[in-house]
Amino acid sequence: MLKVNSIVYKYKDENQENRYDFTLEANRGEIVGIIGASGNGKSTLLDLISGFLTPISGDITNDDKNISNLMPEKRPITILFQNYNLFEHLSVEKNILLGIENINRKNDAEKIDEILKEVGLEEYKKKIASSLSGGQQQRVALARALLRNKPILLLDEPFTGLDFQTRTTMLKLVKKITKTKQICTIMVTHDSSDCDKIADKVYEVKNGKLTLL
Amino acid sequence: MIKQYIRFRSSLIPGLLISSFLLSLAFAIFFTLFGATDPNEPLFLILSQRVLTLLKFTVFQATLSTIFSIIIGIILAWSLAHQPRFFARSLLIALFSSSLVLPTIIVVFGLITILGRNGWLNHLSLYLFHSSFEGFLYGLSGILIAHVYLNASYATRTLLHNFESIPKERYKLAKSLGFSVFKRFLLIEWPAIKQSVLSVSSIIFLLCFTSFAIVLILGGNPSYNTLEVAIYEAVKLDFDISLALELAFVQLSISLVLVFFSSSLKTNISNLKTQSLLIPWKEPFFISLLQVFSIFAFGLFFILPLLAIVIDGIGADFIKIVESTVFVKSFFTSIVIASVSCVITVVFTIFLSNAKRNFALKSRIPQSKIGKVLEFFISFSGTLYLAIPSLVLGLGFFLLSQKFEAPFLFWAISALLSANVLMSLPFSMSILYPAMLKTATKYDKLCFSLDIKGFRRWIYCEWPYLKESIGYIVALSFCLSLGDLGIISLFGNQDFSTLPWYLYGLMGSYQNSDASGVALILLSLTLSVFLFVPKIFAKGNFAKS
Repeated sequence: MLKVNSIVYKYKDENQENRYDFTLEANRGEIVGIIGASGNGKSTLLDLISGFLTPISGDITNDDKNISNLMPEKRPITILFQNYNLFEHLSVEKNILLGIENINRKNDAEKIDEILKEVGLEEYKKKIASSLSGGQQQRVALARALLRNKPILLLDEPFTGLDFQTRTTMLKLVKKITKTKQICTIMVTHDSSDCDKIADKVYEVKNGKLTLL
Repeated sequence: MIKQYIRFRSSLIPGLLISSFLLSLAFAIFFTLFGATDPNEPLFLILSQRVLTLLKFTVFQATLSTIFSIIIGIILAWSLAHQPRFFARSLLIALFSSSLVLPTIIVVFGLITILGRNGWLNHLSLYLFHSSFEGFLYGLSGILIAHVYLNASYATRTLLHNFESIPKERYKLAKSLGFSVFKRFLLIEWPAIKQSVLSVSSIIFLLCFTSFAIVLILGGNPSYNTLEVAIYEAVKLDFDISLALELAFVQLSISLVLVFFSSSLKTNISNLKTQSLLIPWKEPFFISLLQVFSIFAFGLFFILPLLAIVIDGIGADFIKIVESTVFVKSFFTSIVIASVSCVITVVFTIFLSNAKRNFALKSRIPQSKIGKVLEFFISFSGTLYLAIPSLVLGLGFFLLSQKFEAPFLFWAISALLSANVLMSLPFSMSILYPAMLKTATKYDKLCFSLDIKGFRRWIYCEWPYLKESIGYIVALSFCLSLGDLGIISLFGNQDFSTLPWYLYGLMGSYQNSDASGVALILLSLTLSVFLFVPKIFAKGNFAKS
């Protein structure tokens, strides 16, 4: 279970000081939706959970283990960003392999085939990432995220800009994976209909705080 | 905070060590110069009349050169931006880009071939009007022509990029509101280029302020000397080290002040690519005519000297040239020095840019006073050349060679390498740093989350996105080093020479046929490296930086 316990983060921009104070809980096999207007701190929350930003107080635990002091690469987390999830000069296979820690050629080749089948891209293994469509690229990133086998999946508006059909397919895929692999998924979106479709619970970010809807 | 510094130590430490090395070198030179002065003659209290005259002329010619270069640069960039289908536009832009690396001695040689006493123009004038231009190329006019030749094309190339970055929607808005061409320039184009105009002007002023080869050859007589040339003459011709020191201090102080206060100084070098501004309507007829005329006139002014070198050079006796031992020695010395300088420049630029980007990204090292100081030191060490002109640096090495026992070759090579690297760094940093910052902004989170670091990160994430810029730096630093005629003028002799120094010698002894051949070799080598090396690096690149 992921617990974000009153993490406080402050930063100053040109006009004012912004203060965030976040608390949330997410269980295994659960999809938690985060909605809110632009600039309210949705992505800041994900940056704090993933370790890209350091809070001034509070802690984050996963299965009661404090992960607040771990560097981003050491956290039991995998992330899908809105952009730049893939290195576009590398093949689909190479992009997926980059996410695996101990590479075992034979086993990994089988795993990659399996995971690509799961996201419907089994024929694209050798393709260069830049030749794929936006939706296909996000599916490759999702495949890599799954293969990394981390208990927490963070989605930072990764389906923005995709057409309705692809978006719906991706959402279904996320739901299926979350349930079958019993991972804990936090999905930030500006479109509340995404949450209506797959989220088990939804928080709204407003004035730097999370409110359970 | 300390944790973040430790986390990024592998990218911080090499950059900070290089920065410290460069700053130490600058201090060593400064203290060597200072240590050599006579304590009874306070340098800064009374400047002799001669130094004041030199200073006045140096500032005067630099100011005029900057004004002319910028005005021509703006007109030409504006014309090129609005004439995307102009014949040979891409070739012209590529040639303008190369102006930065064209050896100054080549430019001077080409200009003399066209505008000199025995030049094409004079022959044409004699043939058509039976009258001749008498030596107008020597003196202030010659200095200005050569400076405008080199710097207006540099300004054009930089400002063209600004014009082409203006969103098309702005032009549509101007059209829909019925703006005149002047109003469009004032309200849409000027705001987009004015920042660059300022920084390009300050760069051009500094380059002209420290200009050496052009003034040395085209200055004509002592009344048209600049501080740099006067330092050279004091050391090499008059053996007056105390005068050289006085001049060096004046030069150093002014350059330092200029660089220090130009905190927003950006060299604004971009690669050869341009993005044509295709607007689906035509410019008014007379405006279009003016634009085409501007491009044609300056294009001709730019291409003719290069063409003259090629035409004159083809007729040279190349067998005789390559049989000369001095030529062979000069050629290989130039290639070796340029290659080593280029490798050092690339390594220094990568490490300095890598260290500097840590302070620019909030997600890496949060902003703090110490961070700002370190960032300033890194940036300042990258722009040292602008603060320490090559002749001053050369004088420092010259004095060091008199003080410490070591073979002459050691001091000569050290001086040349240092000057070449310092000369290339401001430009190479301005190319690579934005590219490295962009790569980090795009891929930092992905790399950190996938634990891609060290060599793996370099192979998968940095090199594919940076190799085009690195190719451009390789070409730029190689060519800048290849064509330099600054420090070699202090250290060059019969045994130790480079191609530009050899060419200068041939020009001085009126061996025009051989000089034409050597000029053609130097020009071909420079243009081939500058135009083709970046293409080799960019080949088969799928990564979009």
